[in-house]
Amino acid sequence: MKKEDTKPTLEARRAFLAKLAGAATCAGAVVGAATLGVVPAASAKTEAPSDGASFPTKDYDWTKHQWGFGVDATKCIGCLRCVEACKTENDVPLNAHQFRTWVERYVHLEGEEQVRIDSQQDPVNIEASGSEKTFRFANRYKDAKVDKAFFVPKLCNHCTHPACVQVCPTGATYKTEDGVVLVDETYCIGCRYCVQACPYGARFLNEEKGVADKCTWCYHRITKGLQPACVEVCPVGARVFGNLKDKQSPVSLFIRNNRVQVLKAEMGNAPNVFYVGIDKEVN
Amino acid sequence: MPKHIFRLLLLILGVVVVAVIAPQFLTVDSFYRFGHYRANSVPEIAAKEPVLQTARYCQDCHTERHAQWSASNHKSVTCEVCHGAALGHPQNGKLPIPKDAAKLCTLCHEAMPGRPRTQPQIQVAQHSGGQQCTVCHNPHSPKIAAALVKVAGNDTAGKQKAADCAACHGETGISPNDTWPNLAGQNAAYLVRILAAYKSGDQKDVAMTPLAQALSDADIQNLATYYAGLNCKGAASGKAAGDAAAGKVLAKNCVACHGETGIGSNPAWPQLAGQQPGYLVNVLKAFKAGLRKDPMMAGISRGLSDTDIANLAAYYAAQNCQSTK
Repeated sequence: MKKEDTKPTLEARRAFLAKLAGAATCAGAVVGAATLGVVPAASAKTEAPSDGASFPTKDYDWTKHQWGFGVDATKCIGCLRCVEACKTENDVPLNAHQFRTWVERYVHLEGEEQVRIDSQQDPVNIEASGSEKTFRFANRYKDAKVDKAFFVPKLCNHCTHPACVQVCPTGATYKTEDGVVLVDETYCIGCRYCVQACPYGARFLNEEKGVADKCTWCYHRITKGLQPACVEVCPVGARVFGNLKDKQSPVSLFIRNNRVQVLKAEMGNAPNVFYVGIDKEVN
Repeated sequence: MPKHIFRLLLLILGVVVVAVIAPQFLTVDSFYRFGHYRANSVPEIAAKEPVLQTARYCQDCHTERHAQWSASNHKSVTCEVCHGAALGHPQNGKLPIPKDAAKLCTLCHEAMPGRPRTQPQIQVAQHSGGQQCTVCHNPHSPKIAAALVKVAGNDTAGKQKAADCAACHGETGISPNDTWPNLAGQNAAYLVRILAAYKSGDQKDVAMTPLAQALSDADIQNLATYYAGLNCKGAASGKAAGDAAAGKVLAKNCVACHGETGIGSNPAWPQLAGQQPGYLVNVLKAFKAGLRKDPMMAGISRGLSDTDIANLAAYYAAQNCQSTK
């Protein structure tokens, strides 16, 4: 029987598409509900390694360590060996403005109320060192009447409640089980939200890689039983590192034997770098 | 329900469905294993090769140097701080030996406000007269070794014993001769150290060695106390052959240990003011030739010509000495 030679009407086409969309949505909703039922079981946090082996490496089990860092600002001589060692160790771009760790100098001149603060990136100090690849503090207060002066080394505090981890949109930055805040370079999109969020200014954008970068406490060294590069080279022992779970580690003894404080405690990040000998202006 | 509202709700529902289903397929397996991050990035980060190797790595080949360094004050300054990272060494060749030592050493040792008092610091312009740090200091054992010996002798006993020394050194410790040194007013700690060195063989001198070997330790203490208490004469008696004015310019390099006019502040090192010039010339030449042994003086005398030596001797001989008490 010959069908009537008519094209489907506009209304008929629309009705058909609407039915198709409805069917697809319902099917999708069913599949979605099914996977939703499966997913919560599969995405449990702190899941134990499926094969029982130690994580992250076979020689290093992160559940046995909780890393901490101490800074004794009464010992720092401002030699900046730590800054250079960190740059060498971690491929940090060799310029004045990108650094994973830095040292600040606080100087009170006689008769002045306001403290003078500079760090190795100050142009005067860059001029003294001769290049942006090496670092030196210029002896600019040599002939001045100095009331009080001291150096304060600073680095990422690897906070227990890090603001940077909270704001990361992709999950590129995170806190490991052993207390180190790391950056996954393959997932970072370079939005710089974490750079903005960090109250200590510890993060920066690595322009060579296009991702956020920061001190990692030399994770690749500490998981091999070595110390972070800055701790290794400090000639006066101003930087102290160790396992907080071990009561005899250098950092545990440092915290126990000294009156320690942290920077910007009121911001709620619970930092894990403990300072001895800093002054009221240091924050 | 109006059609446009219904279609909008349907669209939203469609988006929600995609948003729920798609991550199940698009999320990497290790994500969510321990939290909101890709768990496999942790071993990736941990796998990076360390660049700084630590001093223990250097010890394998540079055993003697490592032993010297680790017994010194500089044991807290690891090798790689001055020589650079050891990754790839020795395969990639030698590590640099810093040429401009002063630029490196002053990074830590330049006197700077803010450095704690416990850090050894120097006023760079006044410390060495522009010489390199390594002229006097071995970077692997930088503390200058003249240990201060205790002097507790009896000068009466010393006076008795000194009768044997008068033939060369004079009845009152002022030598009759240009060649033999004045001892009157010399630092007692230095005298003890040098006599002990002659006795033990650390220093060798044709005349002094047998004489010192005949002395007991108590004799040495007594003699040193006696001579230190004597009055030195103003300037030296011998006629100096050099140019004292030229010597004065050179002597700026000696200020750190011997003082501006040859009167030093550290009693472990000898006073030079008013000393016999012939003796000074011989001693400097002996240091230069390695016949008289002192690690610091060896480095310093290496740079002196014979004319320099004569001029220095003339300068110091012409200075007024001062009695130690």
